[in-house]
Amino acid sequence: MKPRTIENPRPMLIIMALGLSLLPIDGSASDLRQQIFAGYTQAAKSKTPDFAGFSAKRGQELFLSRPAAGKPDTPSCTSCHSTDPAAKGLTRAGKEIAPMVVSKSPERYTDIKKVEKWFRRNCKGVLGRTCTVMEKGDFLTFMSNR
Amino acid sequence: MKLDMAFINIFQKTHGHQYADADDNRTVKVQIWDLPLRLFHWSMVAAVSVAGFTGFVGRPWWLGAHVFAGYSIGILLVFRFAWGVLGSHYSTFKSFPLAPRGALNHVRSLLRRSSRAHTGHNPVGAWMIMALLFTLLVLVSTGMFALGGQEGLGPLGFLVDFQTGRRAADLHEIAAWALFGVVATHLLGVFVEACLLRHPVLSAMITGNKWISATKARFHRRSYTARGVGLLAVTTVVLLSGGLILASNPPSGWMLVPAPAAYSAECGSCHHAYHPSLRTEKSWRSMMSNLSEHYGEDASLDAETTTAIETFLAANAAGKFDTEASWRIGRTDTRSLRITDTAFWKKRHDGIAERVFKQSSVGSKINCNGCHGDAASGRFADQNIHFPNGDKK
Repeated sequence: MKPRTIENPRPMLIIMALGLSLLPIDGSASDLRQQIFAGYTQAAKSKTPDFAGFSAKRGQELFLSRPAAGKPDTPSCTSCHSTDPAAKGLTRAGKEIAPMVVSKSPERYTDIKKVEKWFRRNCKGVLGRTCTVMEKGDFLTFMSNR
Repeated sequence: MKLDMAFINIFQKTHGHQYADADDNRTVKVQIWDLPLRLFHWSMVAAVSVAGFTGFVGRPWWLGAHVFAGYSIGILLVFRFAWGVLGSHYSTFKSFPLAPRGALNHVRSLLRRSSRAHTGHNPVGAWMIMALLFTLLVLVSTGMFALGGQEGLGPLGFLVDFQTGRRAADLHEIAAWALFGVVATHLLGVFVEACLLRHPVLSAMITGNKWISATKARFHRRSYTARGVGLLAVTTVVLLSGGLILASNPPSGWMLVPAPAAYSAECGSCHHAYHPSLRTEKSWRSMMSNLSEHYGEDASLDAETTTAIETFLAANAAGKFDTEASWRIGRTDTRSLRITDTAFWKKRHDGIAERVFKQSSVGSKINCNGCHGDAASGRFADQNIHFPNGDKK
């Protein structure tokens, strides 16, 4: 199946904003994360009528895969984040990266702009393309369930 | 010959600074070098040894010890110049036999391998002391200029610009070699006096005493120790407090530039947030215009953040600073825009083992603050280099 990419993110962002507006606004990290999930869920539903929820297993497969289709120095997520998402990673410049899983880094995935920034950059760097809503949702589900 | 101490004591008590006018050939034990002078001499030996060792064979991060030794030499020098007026007879400059004819005659007699013992300094020795004190004065001055200009540290940090500091450092090096020669000559002189002519110059510099003809001896009736200690204390307090007040001024050509939150957050999330003075405005603009291809990674940002960061970097680029790092690295454009591709960076990091860069507390060559404790400020003082885990070059 050809991965669905979003050429124009604006409609998706509008859908996400609508999704967010339906939820009660709350400052807590888990609520903020829920809002982001809700946004991705909305977007996935509108893209795929038979959407049956995100999968942590698919997220794990994506995380551990080695697409090597993007930039040569970053063939996989694990190049920098290490194969254990609960462990610290290391940037190519040698700076520590906080663990990817929510249980270790509860402040993660609470700012949609930040989440989208890193998906935009790192999907291009590792996969050589933008990620689909499905891939993003799966990835976040894997990281939240761990 | 037995010493008639009673005579000496009475004489000292009644006459103080006077020549003994006894007309016999007795020799008497007289203190030639007062205790403060001897302590000065051996403290200077220690301080010059530390400064010489750390300067000639030391690594850059030994600068702290070198500078400490330099300040000590400076304080000792000022003390010695004052002691040349306030000290006991043989310590005063007016007692130095500096007449050129005397020195010439002394050299002639040395060439004949005969030389009479001198009570204080011999004529060549007196010139030797002047040469030592002058060379040391040049060294301390140029050292403080170099420290102020190149490192932005010390009492002259607020005053001296980088290029002046660089020239001072060149002079400092020349003066250091000159001192090497002067000290060698001094030691040769001591060797000739002590070993060939058997004049007890070495024991005199330890005990302070010489046995000399009573007709020539000059006595001082009291101890100079209290005066010497007092003078040294005053010198130290005045120079140290004055130096500290001057050193508390911000260095010239450097200012604290608070980075906008976006800079630390965005650039600082993957690598150390480099001080803007490490690249030219041109390099920064070029880098910020191509963030999607940033050394093998996509580091693109939204337009608003990009502009905010670029404005900060351009406004505080190398040309705005007068620090060593801004001159030697910042003003040098490299095709890759990389700091680590500049000649100065390579030269200064040559020979550092790969494992030093790769260890977890450093991470990589581009993590300046893995070793440079003041990298974030852009000052990169030599003495703030700290190798993690005690690793050395």
